[in-house]
Amino acid sequence: MENGTISYTQLLREDLGIFRVTPDGGVPDFKAGQFLTLGLPLESKIVNRAYSIASSPENKKFFEFVIRWVRRPLPGRLTSLLFNAKEGDKISWAKPAGNLTINDTLANGEKDSRRIVCIGGGTGLAPFVSFAQHLHDTNDKREIVVLHGASYVDELSYKQLLTDLENESIDKGKDKWNFKYRAAISRPEEWTNRAWHGHKGRIEQFLRSNDAGKSPLEELVGEKITAENTMFYVCGWQGTIDGTMDYLKNKNFVTEKNKREDGSYEVKFESYG
Amino acid sequence: MGMAEEIITEPNYEKLCSNIINSSEHIRFAGFVNDKSKILHSSERDNLDPLLSDHEIGMSIHYTLERWRKAQNFTFRLGKERLTFTEYDQVTLVTIPFKGKLLLVSTEPRIHYDPIIEKINSILTDWEKL
Repeated sequence: MENGTISYTQLLREDLGIFRVTPDGGVPDFKAGQFLTLGLPLESKIVNRAYSIASSPENKKFFEFVIRWVRRPLPGRLTSLLFNAKEGDKISWAKPAGNLTINDTLANGEKDSRRIVCIGGGTGLAPFVSFAQHLHDTNDKREIVVLHGASYVDELSYKQLLTDLENESIDKGKDKWNFKYRAAISRPEEWTNRAWHGHKGRIEQFLRSNDAGKSPLEELVGEKITAENTMFYVCGWQGTIDGTMDYLKNKNFVTEKNKREDGSYEVKFESYG
Repeated sequence: MGMAEEIITEPNYEKLCSNIINSSEHIRFAGFVNDKSKILHSSERDNLDPLLSDHEIGMSIHYTLERWRKAQNFTFRLGKERLTFTEYDQVTLVTIPFKGKLLLVSTEPRIHYDPIIEKINSILTDWEKL
């Protein structure tokens, strides 16, 4: 394990926070979408847990994470320590890992120019915040859609950053930066969400066709979503993955884990919990 | 062999609310909400001036559920929450978790609560025996 410092903490809610870790030796190379294992001492042992990195590989100042403090049925050991930690506290970390990374080439070796659709449930948004910033900073021309699902409006952790990226897309033009962001709130009837006028329901319902045979996602991008024109990346609870695949498997989408004989696939996912 | 089919019977919230309201003249309101703030059923005593507007009732339910959710974070140490009281100048709010839902009761303030709680618990227990 390497050493670093918790350099910034920001509570969005009592149980949701943004944390930055500044490594002692600088941020190593990694790929957007990977995770980092963090460790903090507890009773003479180091407690480790992996978290998706929300910052982009181009950010060499710090790693950033959005983390939920799960407390039931039992409080998470490392997240409890993290939520009690102060800026300036030391923390250990292991090298970035994980395969939920952006495909730049197709199975046949050609450039992958398909639309990228990212579906993040809760803190499963984190890898796609990294995606978005990386694709922006590397001047990628693909169309990118980030969909974020949350129970409450104050869980839309990167709304401002992602809205700014969409506004930049509108200002510059799609030929220069083609980015869209939408969120869904699954408990719209609750008082906290009373002013929410965006999509209501589970995030994967963006893929559900309406009576006219079009899904909200298809209405957003202006064309039919097919396995030939769109690559999906999904991160969240297993229910989000399963819900997404319920819509996609009927349209001949296959996952990386069940790729075709020629190596092709259109869905990459990572579940947690 | 066939699989045993689990039969889940939802409580008759309307009847429960009616029984609770009728169990004491000091009770102003009884209602059940689920964990998404949806009021499953509620009953109010007749001819009482409401203390809160509809919007404020929504706020009140939200605060109650928030407190309930947070209280559950100690379940692993303290066991299940059974009852809360909040006594205001003008009203007392009582909450009792019941089968994954929350029973909200409001009563007149500064009364003897024990007999009222005993009656409510008896009504809830009687339903569970059915």
